[in-house]
Amino acid sequence: MSTQASPASGASESVPVTAAGASDRWERWGDRLNPLVVKEVRQGLRTRIFWVSFGLLLFACLVLSLVAYADTQGASYSREGRTYFFSFFVCLGVVHFGVIPFNAYRSLAREREDETWVLLLLTGLGPRRILRGKVASFLVQAALYASAVGPFLLFSYFLNGIDLPTILVVLLLGGVWMVFLTLASVCAATLADGRMGRAAVRFALVGVLAVTFFQALTFVFIITQGRGTGFTFDQTFLLGVGVGLWLMLTDGWLLFEASVARLSLMTENYTRHPRRALVVQVLLTFTGTVAVWWYLDFHKDVADVAGIFGTMHLIGTGLFTMSDVDGQARPLRAGTRPWSLFKPGALRGFRLTVLLLLGWALGCSVLLAMSGEATLDWVRNWSRMGMAFTAMALYGVLFLSLALLLGRMPASDRFASPVSVRLLFVALTTLASGLPPLVAVFLGLESGDPLLNLLNPLVGTVNFGRYDYDEPYGTRMTPELLLCVALVTLLAAFAADRVLAERERRAHAS
Amino acid sequence: MSLLEVKGLRRDYGALRAVDDVTFSLEAGGILGFIGPNGAGKSTTLRILATLDVPTAGEVLLEGRSLVDAPDKARPLLGYMPDRYGTYDDVTVREFLDFFARAYGLKGVQRRQRVDSVMEFTGLGPLSGKLTTELSKGMRQRVALGRTLLHDPRLLLLDEPADGLDPRARIELRELLRALADQGKAVIISSHILTELAEICDSCVIIEQGRLLAQGRVEDLLRASGDASQVTELVVRLAAGAEGELMGARAERTLLEQPHVKDVTREGSALRVRLELEPGAGPMEAEAAAAVLLAALVAQGLPVCAFTPRERNLEDAFMTVTKGRVA
Repeated sequence: MSTQASPASGASESVPVTAAGASDRWERWGDRLNPLVVKEVRQGLRTRIFWVSFGLLLFACLVLSLVAYADTQGASYSREGRTYFFSFFVCLGVVHFGVIPFNAYRSLAREREDETWVLLLLTGLGPRRILRGKVASFLVQAALYASAVGPFLLFSYFLNGIDLPTILVVLLLGGVWMVFLTLASVCAATLADGRMGRAAVRFALVGVLAVTFFQALTFVFIITQGRGTGFTFDQTFLLGVGVGLWLMLTDGWLLFEASVARLSLMTENYTRHPRRALVVQVLLTFTGTVAVWWYLDFHKDVADVAGIFGTMHLIGTGLFTMSDVDGQARPLRAGTRPWSLFKPGALRGFRLTVLLLLGWALGCSVLLAMSGEATLDWVRNWSRMGMAFTAMALYGVLFLSLALLLGRMPASDRFASPVSVRLLFVALTTLASGLPPLVAVFLGLESGDPLLNLLNPLVGTVNFGRYDYDEPYGTRMTPELLLCVALVTLLAAFAADRVLAERERRAHAS
Repeated sequence: MSLLEVKGLRRDYGALRAVDDVTFSLEAGGILGFIGPNGAGKSTTLRILATLDVPTAGEVLLEGRSLVDAPDKARPLLGYMPDRYGTYDDVTVREFLDFFARAYGLKGVQRRQRVDSVMEFTGLGPLSGKLTTELSKGMRQRVALGRTLLHDPRLLLLDEPADGLDPRARIELRELLRALADQGKAVIISSHILTELAEICDSCVIIEQGRLLAQGRVEDLLRASGDASQVTELVVRLAAGAEGELMGARAERTLLEQPHVKDVTREGSALRVRLELEPGAGPMEAEAAAAVLLAALVAQGLPVCAFTPRERNLEDAFMTVTKGRVA
């Protein structure tokens, strides 16, 4: 197609030629876009839900602004900005924290149900580009909604009572939260394959979105209403916001990589990216923890919080990493070494989980050991919290190993599926947490009896973290008891490792 | 060298063996029918060929290259149409094809030309602005076929393409597939509609419980299954008249008295006769037995106006070869 006017052409022809040139430019620009973005935006803008949501959003904001105008018209000085900002934000929140994430879930779930997903995969786009396109298209829709509410939010600033930093912090956190919810919803769409499973996931997602919607609004309410009445952006708040943002971003990334992995074909090295993301997250978070700990003058609370929450997070992610299927597709087997922990297979996933859990506990214990001065109190604190971290990590490894052993050791594959292994883990930890205290009460002992609860992941961790000044170490539990837990864990982990190795060998041999 | 070679394909799902040692090949320009009862392993095999599943054992070679080891290299050569249409809501026919053309990496003018040529080939031109959800089943099937052709694949894998189509749409689909084969594309069709397959396919593969029971050219399969069964069918039609009912009863009695007649069923003015011959009997013996029957009917003064052996079709071959078991 010519983009230049021919010498013979008159002035009247110059307009269509310019239009054609512009059209060509658009087309070239469009070619660079992810095809999914083009399709989803095109499709999304035709849906009734978009126009209804958009119309209602505009209408609600318009009504609110008229109310605000009437409310503040006679007043010589108004400070109602924060109230109206919050009201406009609620309108935007319904769409950003509800409609957008749920639509993202529905779009991917339908793609899988209708089997158009496999058609997309066969085009060579790959799950990463497809998901990226899907998420981007919903963010484009979110931007369209935000553009409708933007002028009203600005209007609320001119009503006084709210400052620019508050608006920026709320919008930044709201935006990142919306992206995180969209990624979590997309990940939820990859969780179940059967009809019942899909219904359960859908139900759970609606519940989670509803709960988090109110939580987010409460948080925004506290920030907007509290500012100027005692609430300040102090160091603790900013630190909390920083940690929140970090978690949303890195967990969002992890969820995205997990979704890509779940939608990849068996022949692909589908675990490489999520496992790498997990390791990078752990390393960066630990670096960040060290930085914060250093910034806060080696405060021991940093190590405590990081030790407890980090271990819990790793147990949660490990549950998915170690319950992968046995073995890997033929093309991937050639370059696999014992240390190729990013390659598919439950065996390598389990080993990576154990390494990360123990590494994290060790790192936090070292951090704790370096906090404060070496007084008797410090030694007691270090030994009890250090033991608590280590115990928590050991319990994690122990129960993950037991779930694997119960699920994958029997000859029948009835409980060998990833979902079954995860459910077994939940059942085992629930039983092990609830049963020993009941038995202790039945035997007339204290419910938190140290010996009876030695393998209790909940009470055991609490026991290891308790002071007891009657004991020589000043702690309730002794290092010898921790050693016992470590030995049992080592045994269980070794058995689980061997079972997984044998299953992988069989899977590869068949 | 064959375009596609499947060797000893096996797929296990836990204890269930969905596909068991399936071996066949297909030349460029050939149309292969994939026949089997529900749960026979047809869709599993097609999914493996489409690189959507991995075999437990065996090898699939496409143009001499392993499709199992290098699925990424095989995908541009494959066009897969699953048993569901796979269209989107709120998208027009052109937008749908344009989206997939983009996904296949076609750009600018090349993409537009490709979409146009596919729409022309499938006869979708007049419907380009219509939403895919507003189309009839036949037209949606064409859209799905058009999507499969966008990247000009060498091998087409069609899972139940004629399912749910009306007779006209089926005939049109058949013509489209024939035209594709004439262009040198190899086509594999799995279907339950065996009469359709017989008319489209050059060769067939019959599987049951994941195992390959028979394969070869359609004529060879018919002949082989006919030889194996030792059962021949004849259709006798009497001239319609005032005494049609009476004549029919007489003819039935007469036929049942003849040797080799296993049973006779009346279908209006026609009688369907099943002959059972001795083991090892061939077409000559079958013809001789038929001649005896005709002579007997004529001797009785019955007004025979048609006396035709019923030709065996793919359905007969399928029923003879399979036993209705499910894996």
